[in-house]
Amino acid sequence: MSVPNILTAASAGTKARARKPVTRRQKRDWVFAAGFLAPFMILLLVFQYVPLVVMAKNSVLDYSLLNPAVAKFVGLRNFTDMIEYEDAAVSFGVTFLFALGVVVTVIPIAFLLALFLNSKLPARGLVRTMIMLPVVTSAVVVATMWSFLLDPSNGLINGVLNLIGVGNQPFLTSTGQALPALIVMTLWQQVGFGAILFLAGLQGLPPELTEAARIDGATKRQVLWNVTIPLLSRTTLFVVVIMTVFSLQAFAPAFLMTQGGPQEATNLIVYHIYNTAFIMQQAGYASALSVVLLLVVLAISTLQMALLRSRWNY
Amino acid sequence: MKTRNLLLAGLLAATALGSSSVAHAQDAVACTGETVTLRILRTPGNYPYPAPMEGWQKENPCVQFEINEVPFAQLADTISVQAASSNPPDILVYDGPNTQSYAASGILLPLTKYLPEGWDEDILPATKTEHSYEGEVYSPGIEQTTVAMYYNKTLLEAAGIKPPQTLEKAWTWAEALEAFKACQQGPASSPTVWGLGPTRFGNGQPGLVYQDLIYQRSAGDPNADPSSSAYKTFWALSPDGKSVTGYLNTPEAVGALTFYRSLFNSEGVAPKVGIPNAFFDGKACFYIDTPAAGNALLKDPKFDWGITPIPHFKTPIVHTGSTTIGVAARSRNPDVAAKFVVDMSWGEYAYMNVSQRGNLPTLKSLFPRFEVYNGYPMKVFVDQLQEWGQPRPPGAKFAQYDKLVTDALRAVAFGGDPAELMGDAEKKVQRVLDR
Repeated sequence: MSVPNILTAASAGTKARARKPVTRRQKRDWVFAAGFLAPFMILLLVFQYVPLVVMAKNSVLDYSLLNPAVAKFVGLRNFTDMIEYEDAAVSFGVTFLFALGVVVTVIPIAFLLALFLNSKLPARGLVRTMIMLPVVTSAVVVATMWSFLLDPSNGLINGVLNLIGVGNQPFLTSTGQALPALIVMTLWQQVGFGAILFLAGLQGLPPELTEAARIDGATKRQVLWNVTIPLLSRTTLFVVVIMTVFSLQAFAPAFLMTQGGPQEATNLIVYHIYNTAFIMQQAGYASALSVVLLLVVLAISTLQMALLRSRWNY
Repeated sequence: MKTRNLLLAGLLAATALGSSSVAHAQDAVACTGETVTLRILRTPGNYPYPAPMEGWQKENPCVQFEINEVPFAQLADTISVQAASSNPPDILVYDGPNTQSYAASGILLPLTKYLPEGWDEDILPATKTEHSYEGEVYSPGIEQTTVAMYYNKTLLEAAGIKPPQTLEKAWTWAEALEAFKACQQGPASSPTVWGLGPTRFGNGQPGLVYQDLIYQRSAGDPNADPSSSAYKTFWALSPDGKSVTGYLNTPEAVGALTFYRSLFNSEGVAPKVGIPNAFFDGKACFYIDTPAAGNALLKDPKFDWGITPIPHFKTPIVHTGSTTIGVAARSRNPDVAAKFVVDMSWGEYAYMNVSQRGNLPTLKSLFPRFEVYNGYPMKVFVDQLQEWGQPRPPGAKFAQYDKLVTDALRAVAFGGDPAELMGDAEKKVQRVLDR
C-alpha cells in the first residue's frame, strides 16, 4: 500500500468518525433534528414517493378504476399504445406549445415589470398589487372570468375589438385561437409571480458592479445588457424551470374552460391523464402517460439547467 | 328569590327538553333486533327524500341511514373511487345511462329477484332497457326525464309564429329553423334575442349526447334494413354494444350534422357558449329542457310560455334518462339495501319521491296521479316519453361513448367537418370498445 493511499484512508476514517454523533449533546441534536424532519419526510414518502412507485407499477397493468381487482398485466402495451395511437402525441404536442408560449411570454414581461418595480418610478405599489392579484386569485375564478371575457358572441374582449373595427373572434371555440387564448390568460395570471422572483434577484445584485460599469462609461442599456442580465442568470434559470414545470402540469384551464377542445386543441397532458383515468376508465394507460410526463419534466428541467447554468457568480 | 326562580325555570325547561328527547327516542326505539346502517351516496337535492325515508324507517325501525352527497359533476368520479374501496356505499344514486357500465364492472347488485309483481308491466320500456344488463335489472328507477322545446309566447306572437302542440303536428328541423330565424332579434351569431337558447346542462356549450345526438338519430330509421345506414344512424351503436363503426359516420348522420352545424355558424341562430338563464330572461325564443324548467315556470310564471315537441328529420326521437338508484354489489347488507331501493321505487314511496322534484315517474300507473302532466303543456313530455322515448345508446362503455361523442358533436357545433369528426369519434369509441 502506498503512502498517499494510507493518508487518504486515514483522512476518510477521520471524516467518518467526525460525522458520527459522539457526544451526548450531538446525539441529542441528531434525535431532535430527526424528530423535526420526520413528519415532513413521512408525508413526502407516503404522498409523493410511494404513489410514484405505485404509478410505475400500474403503468404495466390494464384495469378500470371501477373494478381494479381484475387488473391484467400487459407489459409495455400501454407505452406502445402511445406510439400506435395519436392521442398521447397530440396531447404532449399541445402541452409543449402551451409551455413554450407561457415561458416565452412570461419571462421578458416579468423581467420588464421587475425592472419597473425596482426603479424609483411612481405607482410602484399600485402596479405590484395589480400584478400580484391574479397570482393569489383562485384558478376557478380566473377561468370563469376569462370565459366570460372571451365569449365569442357578447364577450368584453370582442366588444373592444368591435370598437376598433375588428369583427367578433371565436376564441375558445376555435381550433386556432383556443390555445393562444389560454396562453394569454396564463400569462396574465403568472406574470406577477415571475416579476416578484426577478425583483428579488435584482435586489440581490451587488450595486458596486453596476456603479463600476457606469464609472467606466457604460450606458444604462449597456449596463442592463452586459451586467444585470448575465448576473441574473440564476434567477432566470429558476423562473424558466418553475414556469416550464407549472405549464407542463397545467390542468385548470383545460378542465374548466375548454374540456380539452375544440378538436383536442387544448387537450393539455394532465387533463388528458385525468380524462383517461376517470372518464375513459383506462387507469393503466393513464399511469403510463404519467410516467412519461414525469420523465419529460425531468429531462426538460435537466436540459434547462445545463443550458442556462450560471457562468458568473457574485 | 329572583335567582331561585330563574334556576327553577331553567331546571323545568331542561326537564321538559330531556323528556321530549326521551319520548322521541322511545318512538324511534322500536327496533328489537340488530341495527343496520345503510350508507347512501347521492347528489344534493336528489332522492331518496326525507319524507319517504322516514315513512320507510317506521316500517323498518332497525335501519339507520348515513348520507353522503357530492355534486353531480363529481358523481361519476366519486363512484369510480368509492366503488373500489374496501367499504363502498350500500346505495348509489347515479346517472342512469351508466347502469350497464357499472353492472359490467360488478359494482351493482342485480335487483331482478327483489322486484315486486307487476313491475314489468308498469315500467316504461325505455327505462327498463336503460337499467338492464344481460337479462338482469340493476335499478328499478324512480323518475324519468326527457327534453322538449319551450318557447316564449310573447316573442313568438310578435313574430307571427304558432308552434305545434301535439306530437302529430311536430315540426321538422327545417320548419323549426325558419321559426328560429323569424323570431331572432339582431344580427346572426350575436343577436339580442337568440332563436334557440343554449342548454343549461354542463357548461352551457352544445354537443351533449343527451340533447344533441338526437339530431342525427332522427335522420335514421329504426324500421329500415338492419344492415342499412339509416338503421345504424338511428341506433348509433350496435345492438350488442360492441361496435360503433358505421353507426356514427353515416350519410344520414353527416347530413343532419351539417344542418346542426349551420345553427351555430352560417345561420347563427344558436350560441356556441352558455348564457345563464337566457330563456328565462327573455333572451331566447326557443329553449330545450326537461320538465324541471316547466315546473319552475308553473310555480313562477315570468312570461307566457308554451311547449312544442322536439323537431325531427325523419324519425321523431327524444332521449330518456335521469339519475337512478341502485345497490352496491359489495354492500354489507345487500338484502336490506335492495328492499329499501325497490320500496323507494314502487307505489306510494315512488309517488312521494317523484312528486318532490316534479320530473316524470318511471311507472305508468303513476302518471294519472300527476295532474300537471294530464294536459298541455306538460303533457307533451309524457306523450314524447311514451311515443318517442329512447335511452341513449346503452352499452357497458357508455361513459366513454358519451365523452367522445359529445366532444365530436361540440366540435361540429364549433364549425368542424361532420364527416371527419364523426369518423374520428367512431375510431376512438371503437378503440375503447375493443380494449
